[in-house]
Amino acid sequence: MFVRLLGESFVRNPRRKMLTAAALVVGMAVATSTLTVALDVGDRLAREFRSFGANLLVTPESDTLPVEIGGVDYRPVDEGSYLQEADLGKLKTIFWRHNIVGFTPFLDVPARIDTSNPPPNLAGTDRMRMPVTLIGTWYAHEVPVPDGTKFKTGASVTHPWWKIEGRWFGDTANECVVGEAFARAHFDQPAIGQTLNVYPLGAPVLGDGKPLPLVITGIVSTGGAEDQAILVPLSVSGNLSNRPGAFRQLFVSALTKPADTFSERDPLKMTPTEYDRWYCSPYISSISLQIRQVLPGVEVRTIRRVADTEGRVLSRVGMLLWMVTLAALGAAALAVAATSATTVLERRDEIGIMKAIGATNSLVAGIFLAEQFMLAIAGGALGFVLGAGLARILGAGVFGTPASLRIVLLPVVLGLAAIVAIAGSLIPLRRASHFNPAPILRGE
Amino acid sequence: MFARLLWKLLRGSRGRLAVAAVALVSGAAVISALLNLDLGVEHQLTQEFRTLGANVVVSPRQRATVTDAAPAVPVLMGKEAVIEAIERTRTSSVIAAAPYLYVIARRANTPLVVAGTWLDETPKLEPTWKLEGEWVTSREDSQRCLIGRNVARQFRLAPGAPLELKYFDRSARLTVAGVMDAGGAEDSQVFVSLPMAQYLAGKEGMIGLAQLSVTGSAQSIAEYAARLAKLLPGDDVLPIRQVTEAEAAMLHRIQLLIVSMVALILLLTALCVLATMAALAMERRADVGLMKALGGSIARIVGLFLAEVGVLGAAGGLIGCVAGVALSYWMGERVFGASISARWEIFPLTTGLMVIVALGGALPLRLLGKTKPAVILRGE
Repeated sequence: MFVRLLGESFVRNPRRKMLTAAALVVGMAVATSTLTVALDVGDRLAREFRSFGANLLVTPESDTLPVEIGGVDYRPVDEGSYLQEADLGKLKTIFWRHNIVGFTPFLDVPARIDTSNPPPNLAGTDRMRMPVTLIGTWYAHEVPVPDGTKFKTGASVTHPWWKIEGRWFGDTANECVVGEAFARAHFDQPAIGQTLNVYPLGAPVLGDGKPLPLVITGIVSTGGAEDQAILVPLSVSGNLSNRPGAFRQLFVSALTKPADTFSERDPLKMTPTEYDRWYCSPYISSISLQIRQVLPGVEVRTIRRVADTEGRVLSRVGMLLWMVTLAALGAAALAVAATSATTVLERRDEIGIMKAIGATNSLVAGIFLAEQFMLAIAGGALGFVLGAGLARILGAGVFGTPASLRIVLLPVVLGLAAIVAIAGSLIPLRRASHFNPAPILRGE
Repeated sequence: MFARLLWKLLRGSRGRLAVAAVALVSGAAVISALLNLDLGVEHQLTQEFRTLGANVVVSPRQRATVTDAAPAVPVLMGKEAVIEAIERTRTSSVIAAAPYLYVIARRANTPLVVAGTWLDETPKLEPTWKLEGEWVTSREDSQRCLIGRNVARQFRLAPGAPLELKYFDRSARLTVAGVMDAGGAEDSQVFVSLPMAQYLAGKEGMIGLAQLSVTGSAQSIAEYAARLAKLLPGDDVLPIRQVTEAEAAMLHRIQLLIVSMVALILLLTALCVLATMAALAMERRADVGLMKALGGSIARIVGLFLAEVGVLGAAGGLIGCVAGVALSYWMGERVFGASISARWEIFPLTTGLMVIVALGGALPLRLLGKTKPAVILRGE
């Protein structure tokens, strides 16, 4: 009897259900898409933040003070300590290896070049060789990882804002790229394609030391100190300084979790469980420790400017999005509740007839609630599918890649739909139970 | 007559109107809160991004030339001209600005990069630095300095310790005010007052570069840099690309994300209110039928209903707006720790939207005008 009544209600008067069903579908679609985006957004924004460049700086532990101005290290080559690039593959073996997005070693070498355009303070001397600093680095270098694979990294990953006109140097070739400002100051004709004769600093200032010819393949513009310098492959600067395979600084770009009160604590004072939790969370401090463990003798510093900004902005945007999501859920709940309430109100006549022929309040409520529940499940499921599609479009529009489908959300959305649909009809149903059937049927 | 009928209707059907009013008020609240938040969020986020430090640098067009005598003899520029230009273009979007002069001095026999600057601007320019000890709060204070973490470790210095710096035949005795943890090249540098660095280098009135922290969109920063560059024809005024480009891209994405989510919610809320109003209108169909049967004009019924929902929409919109602005205050406080100021354009915008949506709900009533009265009165 109950089932038949329910079935009849759907078959006989589908138009009356349309409003609630439509509200359910639209409401749950919005809820699904905002939840999907909010769940995904932390990871995606963290990846986006890597465009600010590296957030960790690795230097030798027992180093002398760097004499660094504007990003160029002016220390002589025989001073300070070095690290070996052969060890770098180990970075991809740490616990959070997949969070290491990229790393780039740097070795600055003072050298001299022949120039047709010497700076004013050197002009007038015959064939003066101008002292310059060569910045040795990787652009796109394949690093062998101990597990047999190769990892491609370099400035292309850690310094994505560097722009090149022409092409980058080959990573082992005798080639170089020059900074934009340097090219403007020292070359009359187009710089690309010319050969730069580089002399190690030990060579005589005048005369015919044996030069290393470097072909200029491009002009780089970075908006920083590199605009004034010459960039060469790390192998070239290693050979020039007689330290093949060595480097002084390593910039590491890692995906991290924003710092919180837990990550600020001293790991040495944690209990073993807390320590495990800290070690197994991608905090910048735990990733630093893991890098120190695989590269002994290094100091790992957080580039605070980048890391702190990332942490603050990420946690704020995350919170903001959750609030917007809550608002979306609220609006969806409101839409569904309001429409269910109106449909129940609209059907007061029906309630009156049912009660007049002897239906109890609980039977009337049962029928209506069962109806709402079935509507909620069907509408919620359809809304979930629509919302997942919407989230894909949103993800693709904002981040370039569609958001992944989360099946976990399906029961959440269905439950939410059922709760709001039933809650929305409860109040008018309660009021309906107080009514006498006679006035309702009279239309009062 | 019309006004009395309207009043009776509003008072009479309180129960039915309650649902519609709740929908209107909460819809308006959500919409106005999100609109207010969305308008305020760019401002708040660009403020957040200022922790990245300086994003505009003024430097001489021809920079470092290297000689044999010293590792670097940078080309310098006159301090007065640069400072005057900065002061003349200064707006509220310039958070901090400071001139810098770098000298490679020695402590005992170790070369050390000494940066002379306005130490009182440093905390604003570098909000992420962690300091042990205290900041130097006066730019005239030439006796005290800030030292980097690595310098402190190398020479075993703590706040309060003396530090003597030498540059050829000139020397300076300073007191360490604080040790900074910057997470960058500054960890190996000593920060002194600008006059002290100028004295050490023997370059009175000269600076090497000036750094500015400017808030705003990438475009407004570029515009500011262009204005400053016009006053300084001999120098380069460049936005630091690493910072400005990434920041602009990031802001764009966050904005797009929030705007699209807000648009979805707006649509949903409007639909919800529309549906409720349509249901409310349908309840009036008996009146329409009766009016038509009596030979009256349907325009009158529709007019009454429109007035009714119009009043409802305006009242609901206004009340919702107040609630929504309060909600966005709270949200701004929670998320950014700063209150988001109310935009007055929100009020007419939201109220107008609510009235339009409410009136749109009367559409089905208009359609009823074409039906025969008997059909309506039979309740089909």
